[in-house]
Amino acid sequence: MTPSQEVIQQVNNLMKSGFEIPEEKLVPTATLIGDLGLDSLDAVDMLVYIEETLGVKVEGERLASVKTLQDVYVLAAESVPRPSEANA
Amino acid sequence: MKVFITGMGALSSLGNTVEDMFDGLKAGRSGIRHFPEWQQYNGLHCHLGAPVPDYDIMKIPRQVRRSMSRMSEMAALATLQALGQADLQPGPALNSPRVLLIMGSTSGSPVTLETYFRKLFEKHGPEGQLSTSFFKVMNHSVAANVAAAIDFNGALISPSCACATSTQAMIMGWELIKAGLYDMVIAGGADEIHYMSASVFDIVQAASRGYNDNPDAASRPFDQSRDGLVVSEGAGVLILESEASMLRRRARPLAEVRGGAYVCDGTHMSQSSAETMMKVMHEALRRAELEAGDVDYVNAHATATLHGDVEEAKAIGGVFGANTYVSSLKGHLGHSLAACGALEAIASIKMMQESVIIPTRNLCQVSEDCQGIRHVRELTSKPVNLVLSNNFAFGGMNTSLLLSAPPADAVTGD
Repeated sequence: MTPSQEVIQQVNNLMKSGFEIPEEKLVPTATLIGDLGLDSLDAVDMLVYIEETLGVKVEGERLASVKTLQDVYVLAAESVPRPSEANA
Repeated sequence: MKVFITGMGALSSLGNTVEDMFDGLKAGRSGIRHFPEWQQYNGLHCHLGAPVPDYDIMKIPRQVRRSMSRMSEMAALATLQALGQADLQPGPALNSPRVLLIMGSTSGSPVTLETYFRKLFEKHGPEGQLSTSFFKVMNHSVAANVAAAIDFNGALISPSCACATSTQAMIMGWELIKAGLYDMVIAGGADEIHYMSASVFDIVQAASRGYNDNPDAASRPFDQSRDGLVVSEGAGVLILESEASMLRRRARPLAEVRGGAYVCDGTHMSQSSAETMMKVMHEALRRAELEAGDVDYVNAHATATLHGDVEEAKAIGGVFGANTYVSSLKGHLGHSLAACGALEAIASIKMMQESVIIPTRNLCQVSEDCQGIRHVRELTSKPVNLVLSNNFAFGGMNTSLLLSAPPADAVTGD
């Protein structure tokens, strides 16, 4: 699934607000660990932020294959709406 | 083995440096203000608190800062201040098996405890909890976060005995240096303001209720019109150092730790007694090999509660009689819980340095049941060479610390 601009913007915003990452570093090819300086705890929090911001349920098991910011966009885009939001 | 203090750091309701805090004390200012938002909490009658002014925490890297609650932030900044004054750099220089970090708080962060459990109940489980939440609520959160902030990987202890926490930390530091186990101890305590802290005292009718519309007049230790304490927040950190270490580093002594004691009441969780307060003061003097008559000034714990102030006045009178100067700083600073012992020790050291005694704020008329001791009611210029500082906590935890001005021959720095 190709992430929409809205999803990309939402992910970028939470990267800035949650992890204090400057805008210029938020390019799709940026690696989470090497380029953006995130670690395993940040990865857990990133999923929480994505779920809260986008109203989705993220498959935590997929986290191991998420390496770049583009992977995060895709993960967010492919996550399913949470039941409460889907019924709203 | 003598033990000296070579660095101090403070964040308090009167300011975010030692100097700002002491200037506020000398000026007779109060850090207490009205918390109108607390009116929404059913059953809470006290709507007063003494918050620490805004501070800049951005000097701490994000991946260290992310697991810090407000109390850990304040403790980290106070520690950096103390290290700076002691001419110590965070990092490898501190990473010796001869250095101990001992620091605590009353509990884990109450702010985070509330959000943590609120979400836990709402979600019926841990869903949505941030990875760092637990690191803010665990009992040794302050100590662990300060260690991370200063890149410290030596020995760490996290004592926790509510309002006596930082005093116990300092006394344990003194004991362990005296025992030859450590050369240097980074000791202190911190707590953050939250309506739950006020509630703890409000429930047992120990928090002020009658001054919500007049915060400046609230917290009146030993006063006839006192009606309870006002919670505050802050962090106090001191660097304790063996004489040998201090001489080796050519560090400047700010004071000498002469001794101290922590003695459990063992009878009642909240009603302290003059008898057991006297016991801890006597024990502190005995351990320091000092007499009551040697003490120039007693920094009382006196939080402005109806019961505690009476018992402490009786106890101080019983140990020192009516000639030793006595004051409490809770009328200025509020009650900063785990931080108060360290902040009051720092203030006492400043009093010795500047030959001045800070009076008890809001002590307009000494309560009939708090008489028999020499209350300081106005800023008093007087040489102060030996101080006994009391701190008492729920759970019957009584502590007394003895500090003296450093002897002239111990002055080694610049």
